[in-house]
Amino acid sequence: MNSYLGIIISREFLQRVKRKSFLITTILMPVIMLALMMAPAVIAALAEPEKQTIAVIDDSGDLGRSLHSDDNIKFNIISDNLADAKLNDDFDAILVIGKNSIKDPSGSISLYSHSAPSMVTEQAIVSQLEKAIENRRIKEYNIDNLRQIMEEVSVDISLQTYRLDKEDETATSSMLSYILGVAMMFILYMFILLYGQMVMTSIIEEKNNRVLEVVVSSVKPNTLMMGKILGIGAVAVTQILIWAVLIVVGGMLLMPWMSAMASSVDEPAFTGAIDTLSDPAFVTQLIVFMFLFLVGGFLLYSSIFAAIGSAVDNIQDASQLQTIAIMPILFAMIISMTVVNDPNSSLAVWTSMIPFTSPMVMMSRLPFGIPLWQPVVSTVILFISFMVMIWVAAKIYRVGIFMYGKKPSFADLVRWFNYK
Amino acid sequence: MENILEVKNVSKTYTGHKALDDISLDVPQGKVYGLLGPNGAGKTTLIRIINHITAPDSGEVIFDGHPLVESDVRNIGYLPEERGLYKKMKVGEQALFFARLKGLSKADATRALKEWFDKLEISSWWDKKIEELSKGMAQKVQFIITVLHRPRLLIFDEPFSGFDPINANILKKEILELRDQGATVIFSTHNMSSVEELCDNITLINKSRNILTGNVRDIRTRFSNHRYELAFEGNQQKLIADITPMVTVIEPLGTDRDGLNRVRFALRDASDVRLVLGTANADADIRAFNALLPSMDEVFIRAVESCNEPAVIPPAL
Repeated sequence: MNSYLGIIISREFLQRVKRKSFLITTILMPVIMLALMMAPAVIAALAEPEKQTIAVIDDSGDLGRSLHSDDNIKFNIISDNLADAKLNDDFDAILVIGKNSIKDPSGSISLYSHSAPSMVTEQAIVSQLEKAIENRRIKEYNIDNLRQIMEEVSVDISLQTYRLDKEDETATSSMLSYILGVAMMFILYMFILLYGQMVMTSIIEEKNNRVLEVVVSSVKPNTLMMGKILGIGAVAVTQILIWAVLIVVGGMLLMPWMSAMASSVDEPAFTGAIDTLSDPAFVTQLIVFMFLFLVGGFLLYSSIFAAIGSAVDNIQDASQLQTIAIMPILFAMIISMTVVNDPNSSLAVWTSMIPFTSPMVMMSRLPFGIPLWQPVVSTVILFISFMVMIWVAAKIYRVGIFMYGKKPSFADLVRWFNYK
Repeated sequence: MENILEVKNVSKTYTGHKALDDISLDVPQGKVYGLLGPNGAGKTTLIRIINHITAPDSGEVIFDGHPLVESDVRNIGYLPEERGLYKKMKVGEQALFFARLKGLSKADATRALKEWFDKLEISSWWDKKIEELSKGMAQKVQFIITVLHRPRLLIFDEPFSGFDPINANILKKEILELRDQGATVIFSTHNMSSVEELCDNITLINKSRNILTGNVRDIRTRFSNHRYELAFEGNQQKLIADITPMVTVIEPLGTDRDGLNRVRFALRDASDVRLVLGTANADADIRAFNALLPSMDEVFIRAVESCNEPAVIPPAL
């Protein structure tokens, strides 16, 4: 029996991995992700700042004079009133500085413009005005060296955090944990959804092709379903492994450069992050659990997707039933986003134990360093739930694959489950 | 005669609908067996039970002397009515996949496949994807997949649909050859002329029940209603008048080109055909006399109709 399962798995695996599309997505996906992350920065860097001429009507006395023109913004102090200035097309915008601007700036400074002013322009004006008003106020106190005193008083702290439960108190960075947590959770989310749906569509296709009947005249429906889930799971793992290799190789190439940069930057959060990333125990733990939760989550959800796929004739009919699987995935993602802000709240602990949310929630908590028993227990629960779920799915599947023509409801699935 | 397959009192119910109701049949080894019935009669359900795809609610299936088990499907080849193969998979690869699912080793499967591909002259298709083939071509591939593992029991559901007459003939020849080599064949079909031509025994299922079972010739004789055709030289009117007490004349056919008169009649109850012949012999020169056998089409329609409007099933001889 097992050798037949092997034949099914290898077909499912090879047919997908051999396709050109697999190679393309495997290589292109990281490129696209990188591009997406970098796109805003690149666009911002490339965008040409607009040149603006701004008329200034200054009722405050001399605030207007402390505005400095630069390449992009040119301030012109005018003596017209607002109504006249509005008629003048030479200006892109009119800045009105009210009488009481120094004492009470909020509400007394306004900007009129023909088109909505850009963020950059607005920010430039605000920061210049803030500085000018600040200077004026400091001056009014008439204390020697007040500016210097204030600069000495002001602090800028970045916290260096240490984990007490670790043998050597390595520096950790909660910022890094946050980023890692969210990133890993998203990878899981993506994989479970993409590959889970792949199981579903592939079953629907077999059903439509009628090839299913030929296959189940040789092997049990359960074997076919199991083989499909495991085969597609193997594809997912292969893809992850390829990416992992790419990341490790890339990381090793970049590490010396990053360490060098870290020591030169002397930013505690950054050096902390580099230290954490080069701690093999931490990284291994992350990778091992990421793998376990990825596989477990995929298996659990793809069993549900398999049952749904067996029940319907086409993708359109599947959409309604699919919510059974997609809702908890989305729910888990939403929870994860809040969990990263407080990884040890009771919501976080509980949802990282419940099998439907656990893969993603646990993934987002792991980088913060939680007691080891939690992910271990959660993994065990996840795999036990998978076995229950695959049993349920198999009972629905073996009936569903021979049902044609009728769009089944959830109640139908329950009835099929109860068939002898 | 030994039976390769015995279906005993099998019933199967789906939600609120009885698909099979106490079906029994025996399929003798090395024969061609026809499984007939209108659409929706329950044939496919029965075939699925024989293929160990679904289990009966009650009753049992005996394969080769023992209750059917999972591993028996390696000795069964099944060509479903709704043909299906993986569209994106190459022909050779796909055939190998199915052969290995039937328990063949990769080497054995490859060898057997090459033989069949040569035999049906489709070797050049090996590296083509199924979606590149025409429907008929794909069916040929599927036929090979069905028979490749030399199953002892072959089940064909409408095997000739979608084939042109030339290819249908090739297929027929191959099926008979397989039978001669010892395989048993179950045909599920609506094509009654192929039943007359190929099947030794049949079972007719209607509305989930077995309404007719037996040897094809016996059944046709039984459904002939004792009808005969007589060809003779002589006085037709007198002959008809003389035999009328014993028979119902269906149609006097008149005189043909060779000067022969023909008459068709059905025996009345309790009449002896030899008496009729004796009477006729006294009146005219008998040139030919034969029983009129109904086509399987007729048998099918009459059996199903008499079953639908519960009437008397024709008495056995």
